[in-house]
Amino acid sequence: MTAAGITLEAAAARRRGGLLRRSLGHGGLVLGGAILAAIIAIALAAPLIAPHDPYNQDLAHRLIPPIWQAKGSWEHALGTDKLGRDYLSRLIFGARISLLIGTLTVIISGTIGTVIGVCAGYFGGRVDAVLSYVVTTRLALPVVLVALASAALVGSSLEGVIIVLGLLLWDRFAVVTRSATQQIARTDYVAAARAIGCSTLRILGSEILPNILNALIVVATLEMAHAILLEAALSFLGLGVQPPLPSWGLMISEGKQYMFFSPWVIGVPAAALVALVLAINLVGDGLRDVTAPENRG
Amino acid sequence: MKIDRSAVARLLAAGALMFAASPAFANKANDTLVYASDSEPENVSPYHNNLREGVIIARNVFDNLIYRDPATGKYEPQLATSWTWTDPTTLDLTIRQGVTFQNGDPLTADDVVWTLNYVVSPEAKVVTKQNVDWIKSAEKIGNDKVRIHLVGPFPAAIEYLAGPIPIYPENYFKKVGLDGFSKAPIGSGPYKITAVIPGKGVKMEKNTHYWKGSPLGQPTIGKLDFRVIADAETRLAELMTGGVDWIWRVPKDQATQLKSAPNITVLSAETMRVGFLQFDALGKSPSAAPFKDVRVRQAVGYAIDRKAMIDNLVGGGARIMHAACFIDQFGCTDKGVPRYEYNPAKAKELLKQAGFPNGFKTEIYAYREREYAEAVIGYLRAVGIDAHLNYLKYAAMRDAHRAGKTPITFQTWGSFSVADASAFTGVWFKGDADDSSHDAEIQKLLKDADTSVDTGKRLKTYQEALKLIAEKAYLFPLYSYPANYAFTSDLAFTAQPDELPRFYAAHWK
Amino acid sequence: MLSFTTQRLAVALSVALTVSIVAFMLLHLSGDLATAIAGPEATAAQIAEISRQFGLDRPITLQYLDWLWRAVHFDFGNSFYYRDTVTSLVASRMPVTMTLGAISLALALVIAIPLGVLAAVYSGTIIDRLALGFCVLGQAVPAFCLGLGLIIVFAVQLRWLPVSGTASWKNYIMPSIALGWYAVPAVMRLSRNGMLEVLSSDYIRTARAKGLRPSVVILKHALRNAIIPVVALAAVQFGFMLGGSIVIEAVFNMQGLGYLAWEAIARNDFPVVQAVVLILAVLYVALTFLADVANAFLDPRIRLA
Repeated sequence: MTAAGITLEAAAARRRGGLLRRSLGHGGLVLGGAILAAIIAIALAAPLIAPHDPYNQDLAHRLIPPIWQAKGSWEHALGTDKLGRDYLSRLIFGARISLLIGTLTVIISGTIGTVIGVCAGYFGGRVDAVLSYVVTTRLALPVVLVALASAALVGSSLEGVIIVLGLLLWDRFAVVTRSATQQIARTDYVAAARAIGCSTLRILGSEILPNILNALIVVATLEMAHAILLEAALSFLGLGVQPPLPSWGLMISEGKQYMFFSPWVIGVPAAALVALVLAINLVGDGLRDVTAPENRG
Repeated sequence: MKIDRSAVARLLAAGALMFAASPAFANKANDTLVYASDSEPENVSPYHNNLREGVIIARNVFDNLIYRDPATGKYEPQLATSWTWTDPTTLDLTIRQGVTFQNGDPLTADDVVWTLNYVVSPEAKVVTKQNVDWIKSAEKIGNDKVRIHLVGPFPAAIEYLAGPIPIYPENYFKKVGLDGFSKAPIGSGPYKITAVIPGKGVKMEKNTHYWKGSPLGQPTIGKLDFRVIADAETRLAELMTGGVDWIWRVPKDQATQLKSAPNITVLSAETMRVGFLQFDALGKSPSAAPFKDVRVRQAVGYAIDRKAMIDNLVGGGARIMHAACFIDQFGCTDKGVPRYEYNPAKAKELLKQAGFPNGFKTEIYAYREREYAEAVIGYLRAVGIDAHLNYLKYAAMRDAHRAGKTPITFQTWGSFSVADASAFTGVWFKGDADDSSHDAEIQKLLKDADTSVDTGKRLKTYQEALKLIAEKAYLFPLYSYPANYAFTSDLAFTAQPDELPRFYAAHWK
Repeated sequence: MLSFTTQRLAVALSVALTVSIVAFMLLHLSGDLATAIAGPEATAAQIAEISRQFGLDRPITLQYLDWLWRAVHFDFGNSFYYRDTVTSLVASRMPVTMTLGAISLALALVIAIPLGVLAAVYSGTIIDRLALGFCVLGQAVPAFCLGLGLIIVFAVQLRWLPVSGTASWKNYIMPSIALGWYAVPAVMRLSRNGMLEVLSSDYIRTARAKGLRPSVVILKHALRNAIIPVVALAAVQFGFMLGGSIVIEAVFNMQGLGYLAWEAIARNDFPVVQAVVLILAVLYVALTFLADVANAFLDPRIRLA
């Protein structure tokens, strides 16, 4: 992962006109971007477009099959779940939760990782040694296990999951921003800025950060996908988001009960989750390609 | 199932993965009955767990003093050939001669005396005290005669002796201690334990020297293999593919659909298990403060539509319970006990009166049938109570509950299959570890009832206590649990309402 | 080489030490230990006695050092739930997870390296794109979904493989696929990039110019050099797999370390959780250390960096 192998002059020139054109020419990025935009739009407009209250339970009308099956009806296009809640509405509101988990986790972990990475990369020497050691320690901890144990300790809830994942998933941010910062810190104009007496904070803010932004965004998308998958895994193991919140991970885990006889109950949220993660990964890979084509792959 | 079998098969046959069907370890051909359940007892020593899986093992591996015929409800001799009440607090028993434990030691009156004295001693740390705390002590009064001294009159004693009081081998237990015993228990019952593998299960083998004339009959199936499979779908998949022979607690929907599967028999029956919500009425945990108000507890009762839950979620065989016990237990009655019919408007009104017009946030703890707990959460949400689910393993939930950390606990209780209300109401209201209301009046009524020799008075006192419990809504009974058993059609198995699968009575067809 | 090794060893040891502090704290944050050991019905006096007996009334650093000393000697105390020592529980579960991890890794390498090489050799063509697409799609499927899917198809529908447990080698096939799946993209990308780099290097061009057959060039000359970084990655991935097998073990009901830890978490049995976290972390540290040294041995440039 050396997404930061960007020479600055080239990056600056590229940023102007070519980026958008190249983005539109990148099939994966366009496809991923379109799916992601659609899911974000659905999440934002959830209360407007959801046909029912996602929490409204109606035991007399449970497990109604979706529209493509014999007994389906438009009243519940994707059917109802085991408690008679409208599946489509839960899926729509669930998009909010999955995106919320992904976004907030990345904001927390991104902040931690960037601070560590930039400091390690910019100051180098002993600071770098200490921070690299912190990163190595973090990498040594088994993520799923520590996340599970922490979720059990703080109590499993939406906030709990976000905080735990946010505090755990910063390693890649740190690694990538560190090497990106190292390269930029060596450039002439950072040296020049130092020479004219710019403060360290100013150099970090106005020279370093803007230039590692591309790499940061790429990592952020990939980590967002990672966080969403981990939440699903935690929910599957019973220590993630708790009912009645319609998280997609939780819906899959609850739908598991019907996997042999009514596979759509697990299939619908699973497909949604795969689509979301796929879209985010496509966007992440695509952004890496268009911002640093030499690092493709 | 929408998968095109032939297409998938062709695709994969072309691939590298080519394996013959795996030899199953289960089934008739191997004379091994593999049964799977979700939980494993923390300790297979029957006095040291309160899990149903533990009770099943206890009944297949140990003998009781007295046998209760599940069909007739009559008490018959088992290890005790006869018993007489000398007075209401003294019970004399004659112990059967010629019975041996599975390690060859003879079972004598000494073993009986030692077992009973051991389980009432504090160092035994028996998990469910209600089962034994009516015993004061036991003594040997003759070669084969044992006398039990009771703490007070306790008419249900015989029922308990026929249930959760198995007899241990004194010498062996003293030699290996509880730790050793929990790894290699020895009983005198129809099956002997050959291996206890933590996390995996328990292996048992037919006791070929099981004493003739036992009311349990002679076991026929050669080996029992109890496999712990936490995941319900994995259990189901194992049954469908012949990996296990017998599962239970199959949810209603799957049970209905399994009925059409070939070679699988589905059996549904009511059990003595009752599901209920228990409130932290003393407000020990921070978010339980609202439940100190009786109106809030009552509101929960009015908020939940038990009939809809039974009709749609729980399935056939379940009955609504109104009193804090299983209705067919001796002493249990719902006559005169206030009922909470589904009435969300009234629930909201009560919440308003209690000072929660906009509801409140709280925590609910559960360990089984997650969808039942979720349905309860849905109903509570409809009246404004925002309950957050904590779904735990039983031991963790029990500890949290006993430590007073659980505002609402979704409990279920099978009374150790004891057909006496004391085994239910007593456990939850007599001041022991699981009593979370500690209501002195109820405790006194129950103590009076359990020590009363006069049947009429006992019934009446129970009714009073049950009425009081319902009025104060310390515990909101939901319904009795049906059990859905699913097993290979090669197996002849009959279910009993006491939720005790008797594998010693099962046989291959 | 020696100074590089000692330096890496020092880092590895200090990381292991830090991890041990995290693991130690995990148990201490889980609640009052004396109460947990004494059981739910213990009196205050009994709890105080336990506290004295187990040394829980001593300063925390002293307790930590004591615990570390025991841990180094593989003594992790007793499980709160089972009447057994943590060490014997862990020892009985370890082989399952190790076997699963090893098979998964082998499977991942067998699939990913050829795929990566193919993608590099046919760089820019449809084969390359398909391989990368497979990677992206593969990464998007949650591990447990893949596991459940395998169960439905191969166990329930086709009846080729057993559903759960660890009774025979057949029980390991589906879990290994589901676990190894997630190492495929990373290994594939790395071997593809390594291959691309090597293929454009001077000596390969020379070899080609000498008229050697392309397959010989690729297999004999390029692959050997391209594979070096994969060795390091494989070690790291093995560490990740041991840590990540928890989900797979849960799906397939395999009594490995992950399953043990998962159940222990759900039962508040934190001595077990603590031990598993420590063991997995130390294994990871050891693996990365070995990978670093092996890499430095194979590629002298690293030593000088």
